[in-house]
Amino acid sequence: MAFVNLKNVTYKYPLTDKPALQNINLQIKEGEFVAIVGPNGAGKSTLCYTLAGFAPHFFKGELSGTVEVAGKISNQSTLDEWVLNVGLAFQNPFNQISGAKYTVFEEIAFGLENIGIPRDEMKKRVEDAMTLTGITDLADRSPYSLSGGQQQRVALTSILVMRPKLLVLDEPTSQMDPIGTREVFGTIRKMAEEGMTVVLVEHKVEWIAEFADRVIAMHNGQVLLEGNPSEVLTSNVLIKNGFGLSRYTSAAREAKKLGIWKKEKLPVTLDEAVEGFKK
Amino acid sequence: MRERLSFYIKRDSVLHRLNPLTKLTLTMALILIAFLSPWYWTPHFILLAAVLPLSFAGRVFPEFIKTALRLILPAATFLFLMQAIFQPVGETVIFKFYFLDVTRESLMFAFRNATRIFVMVSSFTLFLLTTHPSELMSDLSRRGLPGQFAYVIISTLQILPQIQAKAQTIIAAQRSRGLDTESTFFKRAGAIVPLVGPLVFGSFIEVEERAIAIEARGFTSKNLKTSLQEIADPSFERTVRWVLILLIIISALLNLWPS
Ligand SMILES: Nc1ncnc2c1ncn2[C@@H]1O[C@H](COP(=O)(O)OP(=O)(O)O)[C@@H](O)[C@H]1O
Ligand SMILES: [Mg+2]
Repeated sequence: MAFVNLKNVTYKYPLTDKPALQNINLQIKEGEFVAIVGPNGAGKSTLCYTLAGFAPHFFKGELSGTVEVAGKISNQSTLDEWVLNVGLAFQNPFNQISGAKYTVFEEIAFGLENIGIPRDEMKKRVEDAMTLTGITDLADRSPYSLSGGQQQRVALTSILVMRPKLLVLDEPTSQMDPIGTREVFGTIRKMAEEGMTVVLVEHKVEWIAEFADRVIAMHNGQVLLEGNPSEVLTSNVLIKNGFGLSRYTSAAREAKKLGIWKKEKLPVTLDEAVEGFKK
Repeated sequence: MRERLSFYIKRDSVLHRLNPLTKLTLTMALILIAFLSPWYWTPHFILLAAVLPLSFAGRVFPEFIKTALRLILPAATFLFLMQAIFQPVGETVIFKFYFLDVTRESLMFAFRNATRIFVMVSSFTLFLLTTHPSELMSDLSRRGLPGQFAYVIISTLQILPQIQAKAQTIIAAQRSRGLDTESTFFKRAGAIVPLVGPLVFGSFIEVEERAIAIEARGFTSKNLKTSLQEIADPSFERTVRWVLILLIIISALLNLWPS
């Protein structure tokens, strides 16, 4: 039985005619790290909101089909129960700061206060989560005084500390530098290996190839392709539909036209490109 | 960006250590008594004998004076002038201002009202300077104030400086694109229009995202909330609060007393 199971899921925002998600079928195993790619407006964020319960519980609108996570059905649950299993962090870190807390430490504790974790355990969990994401030195800073990348780490930590079974991340590293991104992806990978299921929307595809188990390519509210990252991310179908390629894939494509790239399969990451060009 | 958000200043003082509800009650008592007490000099007395000494007790005197003056001096002065000039009471004319008489009575009246405003704003400033916003929120929700309600109050206090900062950023951005925000009043008024869009529309999306973010962190959970800070509430503070409430009631009764 899949841990996440979407069956014929179609979702329409209120006051819209065209569904933002159309007939999505998706199964994810526990501890799997799944990445989602797709052009703007493909429905990636909507899929995140659906997994996290906000569509339809927060946005209203119409959801048909079934969304099942950890044995529970979204339509038969309430949002406050749902978020105990599913954590969501999204792109703009500034809007994820609660605005009610004075320091980063308190900010991260906010969620645990809300769900009633006793004080001692709360402190321990906040400290552990901050160590995990490498922000212990920010503990006493004001969340508003941080850089965008640091705020994104705080947003991620604020969700990780809740220990969700399914972690949904919508472009969580958009304001980080490559070193920061690598660290955060490393952390997420580790969480997945420890059994947390992860769904991540990411534009920078070379990271996906390196860290994710599987890729889902979305287009017009539908799943266009899914499978192994190195295959999906170099597929001609993506190129035809206006998806962004990794720069290594683009370079190798050009090289292939000139006959310099000899292999059939195109690279996604730097390592694969170097490997291929060596031969 | 500056470290400080909201007004709160982290220090160790008697005032900082008081339970947030006690401080809130004290603030309300100072304000209500200044407004209700029939004795003419009450607001002045409260300002000099309570609010000022408290600002020293809270070790925030310099910040207190700066914030309070900046916030209220213009308003209190304006109010004083309006009332001194237009309040048509009394006979002891002190001087004439065109066709208007400024009387001793109207001056006294204006002086008291301006001081009342001063007491109101300065007590509130003092409260904000010495009260940790999330302690206030936790304490109030622990006492049964609905979480949403507490959150709205606290986050508004916290977010106002952010909105201000954002307005500055938008103005700077628009100005760099040639927008005139500095010349005459009418030109400036016209120039506000392009600023409203980003500010309001931006805020709308922001409010939605912020709501999602706090919901994702269990904000509407039905579990009993806990709090990171241990908030002390010794029994003598409860007594203090009752005494303060009693004083408010006495002032109200004296105010209603037919004289
Ligand atoms: N709150 C909303 N109300 C109505 N329509 C929306 C809303 N959010 C997104 N949409 C629409 O749903 C579609 C998918 O958007 P989205 O999920 O944000 O795509 P992506 O994240 O892949 O860029 C778009 O056509 C978008 O205009
Ligand atoms: Mg999106």
